[in-house]
Amino acid sequence: MTKLLHQVKLLGENIPWLKELRQNGRDAFAALGIPNAKTEAWKYTKPNMFLTDEFETYSAGNSANYQYDFPFATYQITFIDGVFAPNMSDLPSEIEIIPLAEFVMFDIQAKKLIGNLVDINKHPFAALNTAYLNEGIYIKISENCKLTKPLALVYHSTCQNQRPMSNIRNLIVLEKNAQTELIEYFNYDGDQKSVYFNNVVNEIYIGDNATLMHYKAQMEAFKAIHLALNCVEIKKSGYYKSFCLQKGADLARNESKVRLCDTQAKAEVNAAYMMNGWATIDTTTNIEHLVAETFSDQLVKGVVGGQAKGIFQGCIHIEPNAIKTKGYQQHRALLLTDEAEVDVKPELEIFADDVQCSHGSACGQLDAEQLFYLRSRGLDEEEAKAMLVDAYLQEVIAKVDNEKIADWIKLLLQS
Amino acid sequence: MSKPLLEIEDLHAKVDNKEIIKGFNLTINEGEVHAIMGPNGAGKSTLSYVLCGKPGYEVTSGRVLFKGKDLLQMSVEERAREGLFLSMQKPVEIPGVSITPFLKHALNSIRAYRGEKEMDTVEFMKLLREEGRKLNLNADMLKRSINVGFSGGEAKRLETLQMAILRPSLAILDEADSGVDIDAMRIIGEGVNACRTPHNGLLVITHYQRLLNYIVPDFVHVYTGGKIVKTGNKDLAEELERTGYSEFVKEQA
Ligand SMILES: Nc1ncnc2c1ncn2[C@@H]1O[C@H](COP(=O)(O)OP(=O)(O)OP(=O)(O)O)[C@@H](O)[C@H]1O
Ligand SMILES: [Mg+2]
Repeated sequence: MTKLLHQVKLLGENIPWLKELRQNGRDAFAALGIPNAKTEAWKYTKPNMFLTDEFETYSAGNSANYQYDFPFATYQITFIDGVFAPNMSDLPSEIEIIPLAEFVMFDIQAKKLIGNLVDINKHPFAALNTAYLNEGIYIKISENCKLTKPLALVYHSTCQNQRPMSNIRNLIVLEKNAQTELIEYFNYDGDQKSVYFNNVVNEIYIGDNATLMHYKAQMEAFKAIHLALNCVEIKKSGYYKSFCLQKGADLARNESKVRLCDTQAKAEVNAAYMMNGWATIDTTTNIEHLVAETFSDQLVKGVVGGQAKGIFQGCIHIEPNAIKTKGYQQHRALLLTDEAEVDVKPELEIFADDVQCSHGSACGQLDAEQLFYLRSRGLDEEEAKAMLVDAYLQEVIAKVDNEKIADWIKLLLQS
Repeated sequence: MSKPLLEIEDLHAKVDNKEIIKGFNLTINEGEVHAIMGPNGAGKSTLSYVLCGKPGYEVTSGRVLFKGKDLLQMSVEERAREGLFLSMQKPVEIPGVSITPFLKHALNSIRAYRGEKEMDTVEFMKLLREEGRKLNLNADMLKRSINVGFSGGEAKRLETLQMAILRPSLAILDEADSGVDIDAMRIIGEGVNACRTPHNGLLVITHYQRLLNYIVPDFVHVYTGGKIVKTGNKDLAEELERTGYSEFVKEQA
């Protein structure tokens, strides 16, 4: 049960609150264990089927040199095999950005911010992540600051270690009126069958009237395990808009837990998944409307081929006093083969009157008439299918406002 | 003597387990225009789909040669690349697939099959603009998704445009005139004629004689009950306009 918990030496053991936090994470994970079919929140995903063997934690950084070449300008922050690589990074000077390990040891703010948005007793992998809390980055964008280039977190796996596990914890704070685009890109090099485990937790604070555009591309090696939890808190008139593409990994979940805490707070959570082979890819959202006049909108579209399994679990929760709230959710999936599977669990928990709320989910196949039309003009079947798949995902990619980033996403989809 | 393009011999075909085509015979030689007329539900569209290889349309017996090759053995795209084209009665909308890149891709797939070199974007755009102008389809419309938001007449002109770009050896026009106004019918007729050479052929399916004023047929066939029941010259179309199909339908019953 606790095979993922090892004794490792981490920085800051002498800081009592940090030691306690890690111990709490360790205890919570030991108590919760690896979720299985009986764990309601994980019943379709069944991580226990994938986490059958041990994973190692490697604390020493890899000596590899790696920097990703984005087709547009970014501030790049590179992690190589889960370890921050300062010399492969290009940090903006106008914001505060420091490795998490330094932040937790030297900044009194840390105790207040870390773990505040995460319930380790409900999220086993966040508990595991907390037990190893050390790697990651702290980013603070101060009041009125608007970053001109996207911040790009690149997580690169070299596939050189034996079954490595990386626990990464990022803390992102946007103060009042701050604005930025954040990209997270997970990629790898080398053996595409290599097995590794990335377990990421982001805690994101969006202040009054601040805006965060959060783009993620999960392109892990196809035997990898990728679990990510994004906990977002949005204050008055704050705006969080995300788009997550998941295309890699054997088992993957991207979970977004968004708390709309003050009036006029707005969240748009969009995602696309495209899968083949035997992969299991999970998109889970939980949007909590805590006060009146808050807004959320979700569009998730998936394309599932091979014997793969797509999962969408989406919850919109509206507190009793959260009147005049709007919450919308749409999920759609295209099944390319008879063996492909999609499991869907939409949940609306509405405790207030006078709200506008809707959700919908549909699964379909490629349209035979459309496929015939394209082929009858000379396109071969595979090309015609690829064109229709692109067309299908276009609606959700259109949610990416930055055209250069949208083009990059399209490129990743075709790769 | 000109060479045969399409030879259909005793074709039988089923849709949804219902026999629709029951012993169909027709030969189209290079340079010829054939018109097929027949009542609603006779199986005209079914014939065009069978010839193009649409999945779900099952040939139970018979033989079809296209330029001497066994057409029925070919995939949908192979037939297109060999030079068969169908202007569809009800062209489907394809949201998200823009006309221009699709058509460029289609043309280059056909050129590659024929061993011709790929047409680059500049050259293609020039061709598309020219052909588009002739069919009264402007550049903005050609940026849109295939048939999405196109009126009936616009969709039919787009079908004709594709024929003009892809230059098939044999084009089947399945009611290229339905839902089309008088001016557009002339534009389509002229567009189709501009594609004609001594080596290609046309199979024109229509209910009305008017289109045949523009695209003048060498033969007119009456198709009902799954086969051709009468063949004549262009005057037969005018006669049918006056008399209707009752004579043929009765004969069968
Ligand atoms: N996919 C299908 N499933 C079931 N029946 C079909 C299918 N396609 C065609 N049919 C039937 O086959 C018959 C012939 O249809 P078809 O569309 O070929 O007629 P048509 O001659 O083109 O008629 P129209 O002049 O109205 O276009 C009709 O009775 C039709 O209902
Ligand atoms: Mg028809």
